[in-house]
Amino acid sequence: MASYLMNILVLFSINAILAMTLNFIMGYAGIFSLAHAIFFGVGAYTASYVAIHYTDSLLICMTAAIGLSAVLSMALALPALRVRGEYFVAASLGLQVIGVTIFSEWHSVTGGLSGMVGIPPPTLFGFTFTDQAHFALLSVTAMLAILGVVALLVRGSFGRSLMAIRDSESATQAYGKNVQAVKTLSVAVSAGLASVGGTIYAFYMSFVNVEGFMLDASILLMAMVIIGGTGTLLGPIVGAALLMALPAALTYLPFLPSEELGTVQQMIYGAAMVLLMMFRPGGLVGKRKGKTV
Amino acid sequence: MLYAQLFVNGLQTGALYALIAAGFSLIFGMTRVFHAAHGATFTLAGFMFYEIHTVLQWGWLAATLGALVVAAIFGVLVDRWIYNVIRRHEGSFFTLFVASFGLAIVVQNVVAIVFGRGLVTVSTPLSRSVEWLPGLYVAPITGIVLVCALLCFLALQWLLTRTDVGIALRALGENADLIQVYGLTPRRLSQYAFLIGSVLVVPAAILTASTSGLNSAMGHHIMLISIAATIVGGVGSLRGAAVAGMLLGMAENLSLAWIDPQWSEAVTFVVLFLFILFRPGGVYGKAVVS
Amino acid sequence: MTAQVGKTLLEIRQLNKRFGGLQAIDDVTLNLKSGIITTLVGPNGAGKTTLFNMITGHIAPTSGDVLWLGKSIRGDAPWKIARMGIARTFQDLRLFGHMTVEENVRTVIERGTWLWQAGSAARDARVQAVLKQTGLTEKRHERAVDLAYAERKFLSMARILASDATLWLLDEPASGLDPRSFERFVALLREVAASGVTICIIEHNLDIVTQLSDRVVFLDQGKLLAEGTAQEVLSNPHLASIYFGERA
Repeated sequence: MASYLMNILVLFSINAILAMTLNFIMGYAGIFSLAHAIFFGVGAYTASYVAIHYTDSLLICMTAAIGLSAVLSMALALPALRVRGEYFVAASLGLQVIGVTIFSEWHSVTGGLSGMVGIPPPTLFGFTFTDQAHFALLSVTAMLAILGVVALLVRGSFGRSLMAIRDSESATQAYGKNVQAVKTLSVAVSAGLASVGGTIYAFYMSFVNVEGFMLDASILLMAMVIIGGTGTLLGPIVGAALLMALPAALTYLPFLPSEELGTVQQMIYGAAMVLLMMFRPGGLVGKRKGKTV
Repeated sequence: MLYAQLFVNGLQTGALYALIAAGFSLIFGMTRVFHAAHGATFTLAGFMFYEIHTVLQWGWLAATLGALVVAAIFGVLVDRWIYNVIRRHEGSFFTLFVASFGLAIVVQNVVAIVFGRGLVTVSTPLSRSVEWLPGLYVAPITGIVLVCALLCFLALQWLLTRTDVGIALRALGENADLIQVYGLTPRRLSQYAFLIGSVLVVPAAILTASTSGLNSAMGHHIMLISIAATIVGGVGSLRGAAVAGMLLGMAENLSLAWIDPQWSEAVTFVVLFLFILFRPGGVYGKAVVS
Repeated sequence: MTAQVGKTLLEIRQLNKRFGGLQAIDDVTLNLKSGIITTLVGPNGAGKTTLFNMITGHIAPTSGDVLWLGKSIRGDAPWKIARMGIARTFQDLRLFGHMTVEENVRTVIERGTWLWQAGSAARDARVQAVLKQTGLTEKRHERAVDLAYAERKFLSMARILASDATLWLLDEPASGLDPRSFERFVALLREVAASGVTICIIEHNLDIVTQLSDRVVFLDQGKLLAEGTAQEVLSNPHLASIYFGERA
């Protein structure tokens, strides 16, 4: 029982990290990304590669993961954000598709479809994370740390710049803010921190393959952010919890055939997204329909 | 001969993509709604055709009518019942896109429950290939696809330049106030845009069902093509979207001469990225900076 | 009104803007000198806001040049131009609606786009000073969308005040103000001008034109028709007829 709960805790924390980092760009900067699962994947694969080939130091693996994700995201953001928001959606969708193909085909680095196995347990200041309880502690700490970072950013000057851009991009430019730079930085932060989730995931499973990083995963993350409530600190955490509880809740419904659980799950959150946008766009945690500016 | 074969395949794929992209571009260019459920319209039309023709065996005419009706109703109702509600209180790009996307997910899964997740095809003698030249296999259906696409575009051209509704639709995309002159409202016109845009995918859906087949998750791929073609062709240009659709279909097929099939979807996106980097306005559009 | 006639800050040289078939700005040449309050007048659609948009970099000119302190700023990004010391307000205000009054001002005061800027007492003090000068101290925790009309106008002024710019381009800042708010507004502008800021205002309100302007510039259909003191321009019957709608 304890093992089951700890497993859920680890997975929940990782999902919460991913949802929070996606919310950072979607809810605060108004940038839509359908490629968040790819940055999760880049984090996981990078950490695994470094751990298998170089060192099992958690700090080094994580730093490499964060760095690579951040750089990759900027390569996406710099050209795509120069033009309108719709272009970024399209470009992110492209990255999601290409990313999956690369993860599946680049055998020498990612292990292709079979993925990477035998990822060693990470070490931090001499302590090795072997037990499930260790990972539970690590993942919850990471989640809280990232919550803290996001809160600090959002409540500070960067958050104000983001919200100003969301309310009026032309006015933000007119008062001396380099909107391009702000948006690109926010994408980099989002992708970099998502990699933290990827790193923990890779070490926890000691195995990575492309299955966890496909379009369905990006869509699920988007659903978590939207249903929980964009532009709020707790929304993504609530969304992550709810959407993780959903499959478990569905198993209690006797009339649902178990093969169709995944399908029904997706239908429910698809419908939730539609209904929320119609009646409560702020999501569950957010405010009711606000006045238009 | 490999190139010739890939070229012919590319023509067929390209013509289908051109129709799909034109439908999306018409809706997006004229109503500014990012209709992420366009792929769902395609899926519904295709499966309806399959159901009526192959499962119920009522003949292709009934099946075509069924597909047209489903696509038209779906497109118009989504606009009326969902997008309108959202536009009334806030109507931002974000909210409309998310609602659209959520709807696409619901449709995909409903279709998966009813028809399963596997590939379904509509078999017809027209899709049997004949060896025209050594190594070059062409099926009659390719010709049908091309003729059909051409007819649809001619019809669209006539509609947009010769009818009041069509001219007003073009005005809607540029200057919504001008429409009052025709005694039409933006609301009514937006429904026409959804109607026409949705109906345009029906021939593509039927023909795809008869050639490469349908599956419940193909809406994603349809959206990929629609978005990529709209951007590459230039936002607001129907001609651009159609040309870009053809270009992408060709690229997807011709690239098979050099790369593995798993990468062919990626080719579409490489083309898209190149355009975003170097010519964001697309082939026919102007560079649009926010 | 102090009128320290100083150096030329902004030079607009033979500026042209064509939108498709429409010539929005037609060969306009104009100088803005430090310490002088200039008012841009003219009928609606004369191109006044377009002219502002070209100065601030929001629209690119078709031909001609804009120089700030002698250097061309044509083609520079709006944020760069803003950092050089040119700030503007918008006719439709474009406030940061979902943020509070205080946050609106604070956002402008926090220059730059760093991820993290440490708070400072000096910055806090400046925020409060700006709020005080525009009479918004009591409303500082209200969201901008919830403010009354006059308060929104003053918040727009608070933002530009917070920008510490040396040249202000104000687009119909006083339109629709009730008499008491209007008096407060005029007093604010006088204070600002006295502190050395150069101001250029687009206005229809003749009181602003007569009470505050050192110079008046008349634009019609994109062309600069006249330039002079308020009295010279307003007493010209030809210009009056254009302004009020009858054309010769």
